[in-house]
Amino acid sequence: METEKREQSLGRAGVLSAEEKAFLQDVVAQDRVEHHGRVSYMDILFELEHHYGNFLPGEVLNEVARLVGTSPAQLNGFVTFYTMLSTKPRGRHVIRVCTSGPCHVTGAPSIVAELKRLLGVEMGETTPDGVFTLEGSSCLGICGVSPALMIDDDAYGNLTPEDLPRILAAKRAGGAQ
Amino acid sequence: MKLFSTQIIVPVDSTSVLQGALEVKHVLEETIRAYNLGSQVSVVETGALGIYDQGVVLAVFPDDVYYGNVTPSDVPEIVTEHLLKGRVVARLAIDRSLSSRRMVEKETGKSQQKIVLRNAGLIDPQSIDEYIARDGYAALAKALAMQPAEIIQILTDSKLQGRGGAGFPTGLKWGMVAKEQSDEKYIVCNADEGEPGTFKDRLILEGDPHSIVEAMAIAGYATGAHVGIVYVRGEYFMSIARLKKAIADATAYGLLGDDILGTGFSFTLEVYRGGGAYVCGEEFALLESIENQRGEPRNKPPFPPQVGLFGKPTVVNNVETFANVPPILLNGSDWFRSFGTPSSAGTKVFSLSGDIVNRGIVEAPMGTTLRELVYDFGGGVTGGRRIGFLQTGGSAGTVVSERELDTPLDFASMKTSNVSLGSGVILVASEDVPLLPFLAEVAHFFWHESCGRCTPCREGTLQVKNIMDALVSRTADPAALERLGRLLSTLTLTSFCGLGQAVPLAFESALRNFPDVFAQALAESHVPEACEELQD
Repeated sequence: METEKREQSLGRAGVLSAEEKAFLQDVVAQDRVEHHGRVSYMDILFELEHHYGNFLPGEVLNEVARLVGTSPAQLNGFVTFYTMLSTKPRGRHVIRVCTSGPCHVTGAPSIVAELKRLLGVEMGETTPDGVFTLEGSSCLGICGVSPALMIDDDAYGNLTPEDLPRILAAKRAGGAQ
Repeated sequence: MKLFSTQIIVPVDSTSVLQGALEVKHVLEETIRAYNLGSQVSVVETGALGIYDQGVVLAVFPDDVYYGNVTPSDVPEIVTEHLLKGRVVARLAIDRSLSSRRMVEKETGKSQQKIVLRNAGLIDPQSIDEYIARDGYAALAKALAMQPAEIIQILTDSKLQGRGGAGFPTGLKWGMVAKEQSDEKYIVCNADEGEPGTFKDRLILEGDPHSIVEAMAIAGYATGAHVGIVYVRGEYFMSIARLKKAIADATAYGLLGDDILGTGFSFTLEVYRGGGAYVCGEEFALLESIENQRGEPRNKPPFPPQVGLFGKPTVVNNVETFANVPPILLNGSDWFRSFGTPSSAGTKVFSLSGDIVNRGIVEAPMGTTLRELVYDFGGGVTGGRRIGFLQTGGSAGTVVSERELDTPLDFASMKTSNVSLGSGVILVASEDVPLLPFLAEVAHFFWHESCGRCTPCREGTLQVKNIMDALVSRTADPAALERLGRLLSTLTLTSFCGLGQAVPLAFESALRNFPDVFAQALAESHVPEACEELQD
């Protein structure tokens, strides 16, 4: 449903509106200021991914490629290399659950199993209501409070499987905690 | 300036915030106001205190009292008892020996020796004035009055080596860039902290961002570079925000930008972010990523000091390496060499994680033994259990048994005792953690993070993963271990970059230290029927 809404806002045939194009031009120009005339694709794409709801529509990437002076193929190659960027629609909230060593030792396998059970999805999948995408993550750098996960920009630590329903319910309701 | 008689320090690093530090701080400020103590008590935000597993921690100065596991409902008691009546709330106070050992600076013996973490947890990381009050930017001022060659000589004499894992001499690297003739040069800080179990750089970036800004400006002056770039992990939102604020404040104070301190030297700093790719910790992959490319490594040689970012001579140093630079310039190379071992000068910031009582960050002299780290600083294994195995140095590190506990950790320990220092990871797994599923997870990690450029790493990590999975599910064929051994040596010998070359460390050390576990898994394995039919 979320995805449909986004596709509608982008126009049926994937054509960007003049307003949309002006917005993209603005984002790229702002980034040039920050980087002394250069651009950082990563900065631009992080901002756009946030704007378009955790993924980068193809039409947007084509326009960005034109604005930064590269080919759509090159930009697509860039996007698909980095796990935090996605060309496929994702849920409103992206859950990144750490599976690396320190979290593994202190209980990540049971956290992962419980998340899959509660959400009814496998790793890399999005819930049917479009709210959550479950992703595995390499070390998040908060090993002092393992096992840990991040939902969007928020980190959660010292997790037990029992903590998860509360965290998911709060996110679903739109709160930070 | 207001004079406060009492200061309450609240760490607001990411780890503390996710445990509720901001709520506690908010209630604390409200309560202090309600009791009309606002003119005597100040609440100060700092970076991490390096104390984890104690929930939200508050430190009260000058009383030197630390409270742990503080919740908003505990706050009124702290205010009415401690601040009003001067009585320590015993039920919340943290063990003094622990807190003082972790907090007090410049202690000798087995206590922490803080060079890198000299400010973390003691100052408000968002205040450039507090950084300056603790000799901040004094090293930059001193450096700008020296000849670049003198600075490089001091660093060379100090024997500072790169803290990212490879241990390359920093003075030598800077000297290589300084002698290159080029219209442009770059200083790059590798803050793409991704080695599993490492969370030290985050503490430095969030607790003392100005130390990196200052060190990079010094590096610029010493090597003739005018642009610095910090490449920070994409997931480190707070580190990125703190660093950007530090850069803006330093620029406003004339400590970055044109004509710094009236010397004519110009230096600017920018932040680039990563996108969630472990391989970008490899220096060439990192430079590619800054250049808006996929993070794939380049051929070596030439090395970054000759042909680096945008094809120009480039210094690439780790966060912790840079954080060592200002104290070395202020205190001299002899002072720095007085810490550590003959092979490795100075201190190391260790990240303690896993089944260990005091999880967190510890700075200790090079040469500190695993036993001291796990038991003296770490407080031992949780639940009074025994050690099952230890992983040192990260996923790209060694898996060892408790027989190795008395190994002093420094850059030489890999050669002398087969225990790697790496990025300073000390991951403890209790006797209840099975080894093979852990190693399978390590194998999955490398398979996922291999950039796919070279065949040995792309295919090799897949095969290592498959063999480990088969050992875990007891479906390994009789030749699996022999094949694993061949695969690992192929990865070491033929991988294009450090990622693939480091994959074998964990598996070879585990095979060496725990041969019985592998032998048992193989003995219990039987090839699934479907495969047997295929063999017929």
